[in-house]
Amino acid sequence: MITIALAKGRLAEKTLDLLEQLGISCSEIRTGSRKLIFTTDDGTIRIIMVKPSDVPAYVEYGTADIGIAGKDTLMEEGRSLYEMLDLKFGGCRLVVAGFPDKKHSGITQSHIRVATKYPNITRSYFSGKGETVEIIKLNGSVELGPLTGLSDVIVDIVESGRTLAENGLEVLEEICPVSARLVVNQVSLKTRNDEIKRIIDGLRELLEGKES
Amino acid sequence: MTEGGSKSIIISILYHDKLIKQQSTVVRLYVKRKAVSRLSSPFNKWMQQIPEGVQDSLPEERYNARIAEDKLRRKFHLSGYDEVDTPLFEYLDIFEGKTASIEQEQMYKFFEPGSRIMVLRPDITMPIARIAATKMKNRPLPLRLSYFGNVYRYEGQRQNGQREFAQAGIELLGSRKPEADAEIISLAVESLLELGLTEFQIDIGQVEFFKGLVEEAGLNEVQSENLRHLTDQKNKLALEMQLKELSIPAETKNNLLKIPMMFGGEEVLKSAMVLAETERCMKALENLDVIYRMLKNFGLSRYIAIDLGMVHSLNYYTGMIFRGMIRDMGYPVCGGGRYDSLVSEFGKDLPATGFALDMRRILMALERQKGLAPLPVADILFVYDSSVNKECYRKIQSLRSEGLRVEIFLPAENGMTAEAYAREKGIPRLLQFSSGRFQERMV
Repeated sequence: MITIALAKGRLAEKTLDLLEQLGISCSEIRTGSRKLIFTTDDGTIRIIMVKPSDVPAYVEYGTADIGIAGKDTLMEEGRSLYEMLDLKFGGCRLVVAGFPDKKHSGITQSHIRVATKYPNITRSYFSGKGETVEIIKLNGSVELGPLTGLSDVIVDIVESGRTLAENGLEVLEEICPVSARLVVNQVSLKTRNDEIKRIIDGLRELLEGKES
Repeated sequence: MTEGGSKSIIISILYHDKLIKQQSTVVRLYVKRKAVSRLSSPFNKWMQQIPEGVQDSLPEERYNARIAEDKLRRKFHLSGYDEVDTPLFEYLDIFEGKTASIEQEQMYKFFEPGSRIMVLRPDITMPIARIAATKMKNRPLPLRLSYFGNVYRYEGQRQNGQREFAQAGIELLGSRKPEADAEIISLAVESLLELGLTEFQIDIGQVEFFKGLVEEAGLNEVQSENLRHLTDQKNKLALEMQLKELSIPAETKNNLLKIPMMFGGEEVLKSAMVLAETERCMKALENLDVIYRMLKNFGLSRYIAIDLGMVHSLNYYTGMIFRGMIRDMGYPVCGGGRYDSLVSEFGKDLPATGFALDMRRILMALERQKGLAPLPVADILFVYDSSVNKECYRKIQSLRSEGLRVEIFLPAENGMTAEAYAREKGIPRLLQFSSGRFQERMV
């Protein structure tokens, strides 16, 4: 039996829709149960519901063979996983945002202050550009950073850009596009290849069918 | 601690402290608080903890680790490998050559004036390469060397945050032949079997195949390192995006895109032959084919699979590479390959191949497959009637020389009797010396 780790929330819903189209259904999850571990109706797959940012850990340790998580989470966690499929949903962009006219305002501050939920991505993005930044880790409503003067800019995911616009902020730089990805444990891919391949190939066909 | 007792200690501290001569209230209060806190918590909490990423081995684990080491030591010894040991710390230079696969930021460094930078060894293969090229350079080839020891690496949150790794491994230096590679892989299989593991798979690959394709594409170092990383991670999406941006022939792109998924059985080699246009790629596949056929001849093919998309540490490895994986374990338990350019950095051109096992992961795998032994108890608990005498001592020595595990009963302060102690520990026999005679009792 293989185990799939799903990021609780919208990504899980969409993934379950896709799996159902493959004939893999899990009616128990759909009842809105508060359980954390489920088995599909045919008894072949175990599904565990985890916090989105925890998906990579479950898969890296091999506790889950497959995981579905956003590209942003994968980049932030930086774990050793096989990233095998772009599920195309959950699309958004990772960006640097702030007030268009004042990216860096401090006189006493020799470098930019960046508020973000993604300290690792932020560090590697700015160091890749040869810039030193001060990172302020926040856990939500990151937009408040520049609004309150806590930070000069933010690094966050943006879907429609409405929250930014309503607060007078703009996208200053785009880091990369983000969407839901299917990741696989490096050992499971080999030792449970048949079961995993069946799911990946099925999903791939489904997605390609949708595109064309 | 009584009220009076703590007061007198505070007073003596006050008396001895030079600052107190100024009779400042602030200082008096400060010293008083410090003295009290020291009295109320007798331990410094750090005295009961160890740093993250290192571990103690308690008797149950150490016993099994020893069994595993003994099995491997015997296997390596019978296969003609001589054990060596290298220092726990060495110059950073040893680990930082052109072909190094470990980043400087992963190493534990220390400095002192008058010396070069030193590091806790992050690996044992490199010190062995140093020995092979220097102290053992005049010995007949090939050299077959084995080792057991800890290595230290900082891996961040990867590898469970572990920083100390127990390794066992072998190196075969001085032969370029595929027979040498087949010997190493077959010893890896035999080692896992000897340890009592059954459900495992060894993935073998050949880095020259990937290098050949990249060379054909004429990519620079940054581009090929990018492709290597994405290929090793089997990240087809990003690989596709990356390839789109490169101005190389469409067919080469197609071939490079196929590598990550080129894993499976023998048939993978055949399908790869179609892609191999350059001599370098072809030679790589032929080499892997020869190795695979030897292993098949040895009757080991059920443990072996092919993965041409396994391309880690390309600077270091120069030919066949492999990794051993166990079902239900998320990580490989052993790995190795051919590294023909490493030893020459130490002054002697010597082709080499080898592998290492991660002993902690091996124990974890054994535990999951219920392959760990319980800690054995003593066979006999020996009880003196009054004090040690010559006769008793001789008796104990003779029992021990027969291979019996004899523990001497020492009455503890809690007043536990010998019988109770034996029962609690599960010791089956009690041997008592009283009134000049030995009396044996079953517990």
